[in-house]
Amino acid sequence: MKNKNPIFYLILLLVLTLNSCKEKDEYHSVIEKIKAEQKPYHGKLTSETLLAGTDLIEITEGEHTFLIPERKGQIKSFACTECHNSSLSQMKSLVGKKAHWEIQLYHAPDYIMNCATCHNGEDMNSLNSLTGQSINLDLSYKVCAQCHSSQFEDWKGGAHGKKLAGWTPPRASMTCVNCHDPHKPSFDTRWPSNFNIKKALERKEGLDH
Amino acid sequence: MSENKKWYSLDLGLNKKTETTGSCGCGKSQGSCSSHEEELNSEEFYQAAINASIGDERKRDGFEQVFDVKMDRRTAFKKLTASLLIGAGAITASCSSVTDDATKEKAQIDWEEQFKGNYKLMSDDEKQATINRLMRSYELNTGKNISMTAENAEEDVENAEEDVLFGYAFNISKCQGYMDCVSACVEENNQDRNSEMQYIRIHEMKDGEGFKFDKADDNYYHEVPAEDHFYMGTQCFHCDNPPCVEVCPVQATWKEEDGLVVIDYDWCVGCRYCMAACPYDGRRFNWSKPEVPENEINKNQHYLGNRIRKKGVMEKCTFCVQRTRKGKNPACVEACPTGARIFGNLLDPNSTIRWVLENKKVFRLKEDLGTDPKFWYFMD
Repeated sequence: MKNKNPIFYLILLLVLTLNSCKEKDEYHSVIEKIKAEQKPYHGKLTSETLLAGTDLIEITEGEHTFLIPERKGQIKSFACTECHNSSLSQMKSLVGKKAHWEIQLYHAPDYIMNCATCHNGEDMNSLNSLTGQSINLDLSYKVCAQCHSSQFEDWKGGAHGKKLAGWTPPRASMTCVNCHDPHKPSFDTRWPSNFNIKKALERKEGLDH
Repeated sequence: MSENKKWYSLDLGLNKKTETTGSCGCGKSQGSCSSHEEELNSEEFYQAAINASIGDERKRDGFEQVFDVKMDRRTAFKKLTASLLIGAGAITASCSSVTDDATKEKAQIDWEEQFKGNYKLMSDDEKQATINRLMRSYELNTGKNISMTAENAEEDVENAEEDVLFGYAFNISKCQGYMDCVSACVEENNQDRNSEMQYIRIHEMKDGEGFKFDKADDNYYHEVPAEDHFYMGTQCFHCDNPPCVEVCPVQATWKEEDGLVVIDYDWCVGCRYCMAACPYDGRRFNWSKPEVPENEINKNQHYLGNRIRKKGVMEKCTFCVQRTRKGKNPACVEACPTGARIFGNLLDPNSTIRWVLENKKVFRLKEDLGTDPKFWYFMD
């Protein structure tokens, strides 16, 4: 027994040392694991069925290519030229039918922005860039991106704005005007959709903790 | 499957039913199908038992019966004997050859469910078998169908998809505290309405004071966003090194291949070690039998996800396994109107979650604990 003991301990030590190293596919952190195992997803799951029924257009901005909802079909009275058949300056008058009377601009001080910053009185079917070039109404994000460049960067990457459908490719993001009213882009306060009465009662009674 | 099963199968004569192809559907080996005499007998037996148990309380409604009870010792004993009678009756019903198929099938399902193993160790066939049993059991009990399956998948068992690791990002600048996510989560995951169980907490924090969860309010009710406050949500972070999994004495909770930390509600013994081990308050316990009104039950369920739980087991956010393994986003992501919640595949370099991790300044809660959560916070 006396002779066997050191050998036994040696074997035990060997086994312990070998086992102390984790398995090969174990990583020290999740970031390490992501870096080592990353692979573009081409699995069987796809968002295509979830997106069916939504009119989408594909856009490419920088290195990002994704889908956004089409816009023109969603505007009830498009094309605008059906009413705006002559230039805005000619239609503007004190007499005659008033239109868009409810629109008030709460976007920026009026020394920075007015209607003509985004709309072109001569061509109402399109939007207007700061340098007076025409922008397709479906690609209205290009108008917003002129000033809101950091939001634009985040939106392209997917950090700003809500996604349509699921996590699987193809990616579809909502565009600026799907959430923000361009005439009043900020949001009002509202009530939360939930209040936990049981939690409130328990805390009142001191049952919580 | 029956050859290498780990427990003795209870055969209540249901197998004979598959052999008989005639009009006889009751599965009896002898006697006519419509032998009312015997069935009446068992019915009379039940009636007698029920009479003995409630008797004159027939006229009172359920509430009165529970809350307005004056009982002497004699009635108490009478009631106790009556319940024993019913219990004994149930046993004879399941063993005798005269009871109907549904009762037998129910008894057989209960038997199989009682002796089944840990979901983690099941083969796909065994998983499918338990899913089928649970769906059938629900149908027998309520007369309604649930789907514990993938609608478009070839097979019902939804295991982790290859090359997928789920991750989550939360934009603190964007969250406005609307709590639409909380409501959507409760509806999606069939959480107990009685105790108002919620997986997600939205903390209202004061600007300039940092993360002080003890000072933050997670049950506010006023117009939001409140001035000088910001909002952040917590839920299960699906840690890559989950302490809750480590402490579970029966291995009823584990990490799946796609990174989801899940619970086998039928294997959980309810010791709540995991609840104590979680540093993020991500786990919830069913102190009572979870109640969900029948018309509010989400019938698209997953064994590891939103199927109806029972009393005395743990549950928590599963990143909506029943949705995400079909390619959808979790219910909270879909419900959030602000886009503050971002969900995706961490292994896909083209996913938006990866862009957030690589281009925004992200951090995780209590990172120094080494739990390695797959839930990142960031700001605009």
